[in-house]
Amino acid sequence: MSFATKRLGKELSKINNSLPPGIELVSADNFEEWFLDIRVLDNNPLYANQVYRLKFKFSAQYPIEPPEVVFVKLANRPIPIHPHIYSNGIICLDLLGQQGWSPVQNVESICMSLQSMLTGNNKDERPAGDEEFVRGNRLRPKDIDFYYHDNNV
Amino acid sequence: MPPPNTPDESLPDEEQANLAVFLPPDQPRRPDSILERRTTRTTEHQTAPSQRGPAILPLDYQVLDYVDTVDDTLLCPVCRTAFHSPIITTCGHTFCATCINRALEMQPTCPIDRKPINKTSDFHQPPLIIKEQLDRLKVKCPNVGCGHICSREHLEGHYEHRCEYTQVLCPSSWCEKRIARRYVSADSHCMHSEAPCQYCEENVAEIDLSHHYDYLCNGVTATCQQCEASIVQHRLEKHIEEDCPETEVDCQWFSIGCKVSDKRLIVFEHEKDCPYKIIGQLVKERAEDRKLIDGLMGRITVLETRAYERHERQARRAQRGSLWPPPSTTAGSQGDSVPGAETEEERYLRSSTSPEGYMLARFERLESRMEDLAKQLQDMDAYQSSFVLQQLYPINNQLVELGSKVGVLNMHTTWLMNMQRFQQRAVQTNGPGLANPGMSSAAENNAPPPAVDDYSGPHYDQYYRTFRRRNSDGRDMPPRL
Repeated sequence: MSFATKRLGKELSKINNSLPPGIELVSADNFEEWFLDIRVLDNNPLYANQVYRLKFKFSAQYPIEPPEVVFVKLANRPIPIHPHIYSNGIICLDLLGQQGWSPVQNVESICMSLQSMLTGNNKDERPAGDEEFVRGNRLRPKDIDFYYHDNNV
Repeated sequence: MPPPNTPDESLPDEEQANLAVFLPPDQPRRPDSILERRTTRTTEHQTAPSQRGPAILPLDYQVLDYVDTVDDTLLCPVCRTAFHSPIITTCGHTFCATCINRALEMQPTCPIDRKPINKTSDFHQPPLIIKEQLDRLKVKCPNVGCGHICSREHLEGHYEHRCEYTQVLCPSSWCEKRIARRYVSADSHCMHSEAPCQYCEENVAEIDLSHHYDYLCNGVTATCQQCEASIVQHRLEKHIEEDCPETEVDCQWFSIGCKVSDKRLIVFEHEKDCPYKIIGQLVKERAEDRKLIDGLMGRITVLETRAYERHERQARRAQRGSLWPPPSTTAGSQGDSVPGAETEEERYLRSSTSPEGYMLARFERLESRMEDLAKQLQDMDAYQSSFVLQQLYPINNQLVELGSKVGVLNMHTTWLMNMQRFQQRAVQTNGPGLANPGMSSAAENNAPPPAVDDYSGPHYDQYYRTFRRRNSDGRDMPPRL
């Protein structure tokens, strides 16, 4: 049993017991890919009455390496509008990069960080160069070299 | 002096190993020293341990199942399990040694506050109180089938030495598989060799045969006539006897008087609240008591017969008593004991009335005397050796003293001879008046003497003061003999 499997097993049993408000487990059929739903709890008009689907992909080195986290677009699950979230679901957040990641983070804490990232935003816009990025990007999110310059949102 | 808590000194071997090397995730932890010793011992006659792995796989602390929920403060933030060989960092955070090492491979900072961490200088032993709390956690044995529960500090011992379910190397030297300790056969043959199942022709390893029969074998199946379950032929009998829900059976309290007799499933439900249950249990207890009483009764009978026999013997002896003992023997036996020290035995000896009794008592007496003598002999031996040692000690001391005296004499002789030689040389070169009495041979070798003409003047005096023999005891002049 690998290190990642053991750790994810622990997280899963904890998640099954209780999760903070606004976070729900959709499926965790294996220890490689999980889906969770998040909602923004306050009355931010940008995200009111909407639920977003998150896809977590874990490598065998989890939690030493960060998981790959993206928003997934479904019929009733849009991609939230945010200056750091591309319209294909890729998230630019230092917590999810090699530098900002720490092995003490977990699925629950990531969800909560994303919740607060949405809560704190009031700009109804996509990142600069979104269309071009979405069209041209063939890289996996973890291989993209983000430049974390904006600490405001 | 190294600072306190230097890893090399303050940490036990195992943890030090964890500190010193980073272990890749799929490689097992370095086996403990005990384990290693076991491995080398048990596989001496087999293949080298490196080819077959350790005798027992190391205990995986991350999969342990704790009986009670472990307090959050005792969970490693990286692996989310109770700490195993914890390390405390300079910034005050605690991690399992393996976890922090893995994390540092990725980023050399503390996973919690991101302060830089140096493996060698920032790792410290956690307070003992943490270790004690961890030791006390109640944990289940990780082996499948073993339900043992103990405190965590004892788990390793149980797992390595006692648990019957621990996977050990197959006793056959060429087989690389593992087998639960309890299944290792007495003749140490390999249970992993596959042989065709006698019912379905499928190749099954011997160790899995029972499981195969019960769940997997699809050879000659038979259908249970009552419950219509299809079962492998050879298990049908067992099934009807033990499991089949449709077979008609009696209530287990049938013998007490319960008249219920129905299908197993119904009887099973009935037994839960059978009115005869309470009586049945009482009867059961009574039967157990009865068994105990019977056992005790048997013992009493044996004791009674023995007592009766003894009594009989005594009566017979008493009858013959008038013919015994012959007076001469009694006198003789008294003769070799110390007068005035009449022992219990002797009294018994004289009072014993049958010849067997007399001989027996005498024999016993001799035996005890022999024991006494053996003891005395031992005492003497001990006394002797201590005496010899005592005597030897001062002699040894004297020898050492003599040795040192001879050494001193030797030294003096050498000095005198040197002086004489020097005097002779001085006479040869200068005449008798100018001999140098304190000149040593060493000084001669180290520094050339001043010019011969100067011997009489102040130069010579200075030379003599500078290069004259220095004594080991610091006295100025060597003793004159």
